[in-house]
Amino acid sequence: MEALETFIVESSVKEEGDAYKSIVADIITELVLGGAIGRIKVVVRPEDSLFQMAVLLRGSQPTVKISDMGTVEVGSSVKKEIKISIEQEKYLPELLEKLWARYGRTKVYQPERRTLVVNAQDMDAELDQLKELVVADPRKTLQSRLVEMAIRATPEGFRVRYHSIDDNVFVFAASEDILKPEWIQQAQQIAKELREAK
Amino acid sequence: MSAILEPYIYEGGIHKHTLITELLEDLGGYLIQKVPAATEVTLVMLIPRDDVHLIEELGKKLLGDLTRAPLTGTEIAVVSPTLASHHLPHSACDVAEYMRRGGANTNMIGLARGMGRRVSLSANYERRLINEHDLAVFSFGTFSDCIRNKKPKLLEGVDIPKIVTGGPSDLKTRDIPNADLYVGGVGRVAHRMRKSGELDSLDVLLEKVIEVVEKMREDLSKDPLAVLPARVMKEIHEQIPEIFDVYSPAPVTLQLDGLRVKLPYDKFHEKVEKLEFDEGLKLLDMADITPSKMKNYILVKIKRESEVGFTA
Repeated sequence: MEALETFIVESSVKEEGDAYKSIVADIITELVLGGAIGRIKVVVRPEDSLFQMAVLLRGSQPTVKISDMGTVEVGSSVKKEIKISIEQEKYLPELLEKLWARYGRTKVYQPERRTLVVNAQDMDAELDQLKELVVADPRKTLQSRLVEMAIRATPEGFRVRYHSIDDNVFVFAASEDILKPEWIQQAQQIAKELREAK
Repeated sequence: MSAILEPYIYEGGIHKHTLITELLEDLGGYLIQKVPAATEVTLVMLIPRDDVHLIEELGKKLLGDLTRAPLTGTEIAVVSPTLASHHLPHSACDVAEYMRRGGANTNMIGLARGMGRRVSLSANYERRLINEHDLAVFSFGTFSDCIRNKKPKLLEGVDIPKIVTGGPSDLKTRDIPNADLYVGGVGRVAHRMRKSGELDSLDVLLEKVIEVVEKMREDLSKDPLAVLPARVMKEIHEQIPEIFDVYSPAPVTLQLDGLRVKLPYDKFHEKVEKLEFDEGLKLLDMADITPSKMKNYILVKIKRESEVGFTA
């Protein structure tokens, strides 16, 4: 599935659907969801105060370990230092948070932008553990970003919401009034159509 | 009646800009707002019509620009249904910026419960706050159904001219109950308005607002104010020195028929009431002075000639 291979926004009036598409597109850009979403369809019916959205995600990304973003090696066995050389800076803030929590701020140095030095007692054991340390879980942040996107994309007054995340399918419906069961079914149906589309 | 004053904005370097303000004072014009920003300065002023060329020539010498700003001396409320990220900062702030480019002072007002269709409503306090302005620009979003059928209830109770903006460009003013004017192409967007189509709609909006203000000025001139708001401002600057300790960008904000003085009402309303004019008049003789709904400010609404019997 290509990124955003299907991107449909429908409304009762066609021009308004197009205008709303630009809003949804902006929100997807803002939350950097473009790469994660495969197919998306939004239906807005202002006369019924109804907003429905179905999103098909492109396969979920694996967790990021330190070994994925750089190399862990012995810096100095005399000083008991482990050296981490970073190749991908994207998750560096998360990594620093994790290391600080584990060793304390005084034991973690950053002599240079892409190098971290950790002061550890049991070098060998720590070395192996560090290599496998999970730095970030894109799936978790993806979920929260998806929910954020749904809330931002909904017209503001539509505070009654339904959502479900199942495998790679995110279904969302919102209204100002009580959500009718058939509206939720319709949203599920939209998701089904997206999944079956070629 | 004094000379006819024309509104202008001067933008130029801060170096020697006092030459302009001095000349303006000599000509009998009024400096309404001065916004210094690092090495640049923006002067909003009222210049006597026959002497505009003098300021223009001096401005050219100082390598600055003098442009006409028809909205000078107006205070405009830019009202959005709420202050949530759905409505702000984009589009509402762009609208406000365009109004300011026309010379207006703007206030952004986000209603507490304006969102939605069935549930949207405005409070008495909010309506009174909006009514303190010269005119209000409302943004009603993308959907014509909402603009026509649901949102206009936010306009009820607002007596000043109400300009409604929204996405659809095929709507007419008469489709929207209570609205005085509808301008399309300014709907909800989640990005800064910078595409040519969007900027065009903002230009159209500014033009229409200017038309409305010109009409209001014309109506006003039939039964003129007892005293010019700009003159009251000048007297406040001379007689109430505490105004210079106020850090708002516009400590005295001019309106078409009055002004907002950003000093605490309890402490200063008597001083404002007793403001003296050369003719031996006090401001209280010519204006209603009330507490403003905005913070603890003082609101001055100047009476008309027909009511007072003279113009100062």
